[in-house]
Amino acid sequence: MTETIELALKTLEAQLNQPLETALEACARCGICAEACHYYRAEPKVEHIPAYRAEQLRNVYRYEHDFISRLFPVWTRAKKLDETTLANLTEIAFSQCTLCRRCTVNCPLGVDTPLMMRAIRAMATAGGTAPEILVMLADAAIEKGNDPSFYKEMFLEQIADMEKQLRDITGDENATIPVEKQGAKILYVPLAGAHTILPPAVVFNAAKEDWTLSIFEASNYGVFLADVNRAKQVAKRIVDEANRLGVEEIVISECGHAYSCYRWDVPNWFAGQFDFKVRSLIEVLAGYISDGKIKVDPTGIPGSVTYHDSCNLARNGGLLEEPRYVLKSIVRDFREMTPNKAEALCCGGGGGIVALAEYAERRIAAGKPKADQIKSTGARTVVAACENCRLQIGDLNEHYNLNIHVTALTDLVVQAMRLPKPLPGMEAEHLFEGEQVEAPR
Amino acid sequence: MLIFQLLALAGLAAGLFGIYLRYAETKRRALPIDKSPVKGNIPHGIAYAFTTGMMPWAKESTRIHLIAYLRGIGFHIGIFAAIGTVILSPLRGFLPPLLSSTLFWVLILGALLGAAGGVMRLAEHNLRGLSLPDDHFAVWLTTLFIAVTGLGLVFEAFVVPMYIVSAVTFAYIPLGKIRHCLYFFFSRTFFGKFFGRRAVFPHPEPLK
Repeated sequence: MTETIELALKTLEAQLNQPLETALEACARCGICAEACHYYRAEPKVEHIPAYRAEQLRNVYRYEHDFISRLFPVWTRAKKLDETTLANLTEIAFSQCTLCRRCTVNCPLGVDTPLMMRAIRAMATAGGTAPEILVMLADAAIEKGNDPSFYKEMFLEQIADMEKQLRDITGDENATIPVEKQGAKILYVPLAGAHTILPPAVVFNAAKEDWTLSIFEASNYGVFLADVNRAKQVAKRIVDEANRLGVEEIVISECGHAYSCYRWDVPNWFAGQFDFKVRSLIEVLAGYISDGKIKVDPTGIPGSVTYHDSCNLARNGGLLEEPRYVLKSIVRDFREMTPNKAEALCCGGGGGIVALAEYAERRIAAGKPKADQIKSTGARTVVAACENCRLQIGDLNEHYNLNIHVTALTDLVVQAMRLPKPLPGMEAEHLFEGEQVEAPR
Repeated sequence: MLIFQLLALAGLAAGLFGIYLRYAETKRRALPIDKSPVKGNIPHGIAYAFTTGMMPWAKESTRIHLIAYLRGIGFHIGIFAAIGTVILSPLRGFLPPLLSSTLFWVLILGALLGAAGGVMRLAEHNLRGLSLPDDHFAVWLTTLFIAVTGLGLVFEAFVVPMYIVSAVTFAYIPLGKIRHCLYFFFSRTFFGKFFGRRAVFPHPEPLK
């Protein structure tokens, strides 16, 4: 047995807890999960059925744990793990499953196939067969946490420039983007890029919030690798920052996996050292609107708008009604996709696949059901509260000629706040009184 | 006759013991304690997982495959009816005629639905690709068990075969695919805990 295989098997054994063993044992192979998967919908073949993908790991598990399978491997297709099998498993887990859990919701037994895909990802990471780019991105984030001074000066310069833009947009000379403010109530964690800093800054200032901006980004590539050790190291940067500043709450940018990570995983990884409330920016927006802390024009967004439920935020995160509350407060013509909420289709951009250029073609093909779903709403604007979903829907827009505008929820809220100037890149959407509503398509 | 009844009993005992070992093996494994703050309601999530969440209209998959899902439900009703019938079989002559005839038709229907499932596994491309030899064996063994039990209820000639097939079926439960009957309870419980905690199921009310 090679070291790679040994490490992969050791990792499988280490993960084998009650939920994973249940997922490995419960499937009746009824195949009813097939259409739940966007890969199968896009290209209906046996290999794209979630149960089939899970079987590839079960074959290995049975060989290791079921004596009948050891005696008569042909009876259950039990298979000893080797390099080829591990390569095949890696390919399946990273390129044919976005961990959306739509199959779980649609399974009569509730089999958690993504849990098995995560187990494979962890095996692949331990064995060194996981996509290198994800490993590099995770390691770079850890490195940044070890010594943030290298880029901090540049970051602060960028924030100073952004502050000028903020004042220009809001017309408020006192508007600020505080960084490392001791004792602030909220630590807002953005993603890389001004587009996840400036719009929330507009909102926080309008709401007169006591907030501070994190110097780190929310994304966590360790999560995609299912490598708890790396994921914890990436998350620790923000946990430490929150502790150092003494904030009460961590607010995560519009990002599916980051929200899922900090809301549902980090409290387990840092039990006892993590007393912060974690909310998504979406929940904060809904709260501000409902409490009247920010003023929005209920007809502020005149065009037709639909909302894409990010799997990590909605089905796996429980943020089903909050984004709809926000949208219904500002959008005149809101159109639901069908199906939506917990049954929403994955766009095909989750699980880290957006970062894997080698699977781009597969990703775009698997996004076809979402593209069709968007098209059938007839909406001109698609709101996605997750960066990876926005990137994927942007690519789908180009590939399938959807002729849509893809935007974040916060950007629309800012637009509906009727500020003196628009956000950068939103000039066309900066509509004023009397401006014509688009003609229906 | 007693010897065949004892054989069935031995099969049942072996099956139950095997299932207990499986249960103990799974319970021996770590159960992660989720410390993330609850957004929804875990008991409601678990209740949903075992009740309304199992309804044919609750899932897109069962709405699409309504016939297949109902076939499966009918088949499983047949299995449980057959187990009950075998347990009650020493009282065969004393059962009220209405109960006997109802059980008979439930079992015959269950067996037909089981056979339909067996044929589907062979005929349908996706199901054939997914199925293991164990799956084919399990579905036909269980179908035979239901059928022979139904016939044994009415025809004396099928009583001995009923006990023999019962013994084999019971003993096979922990060894092959049929053991998913145990993991069903684990799986739906974990499902309910996960989605209940996160306020996904039961579906939350719209915010006002």
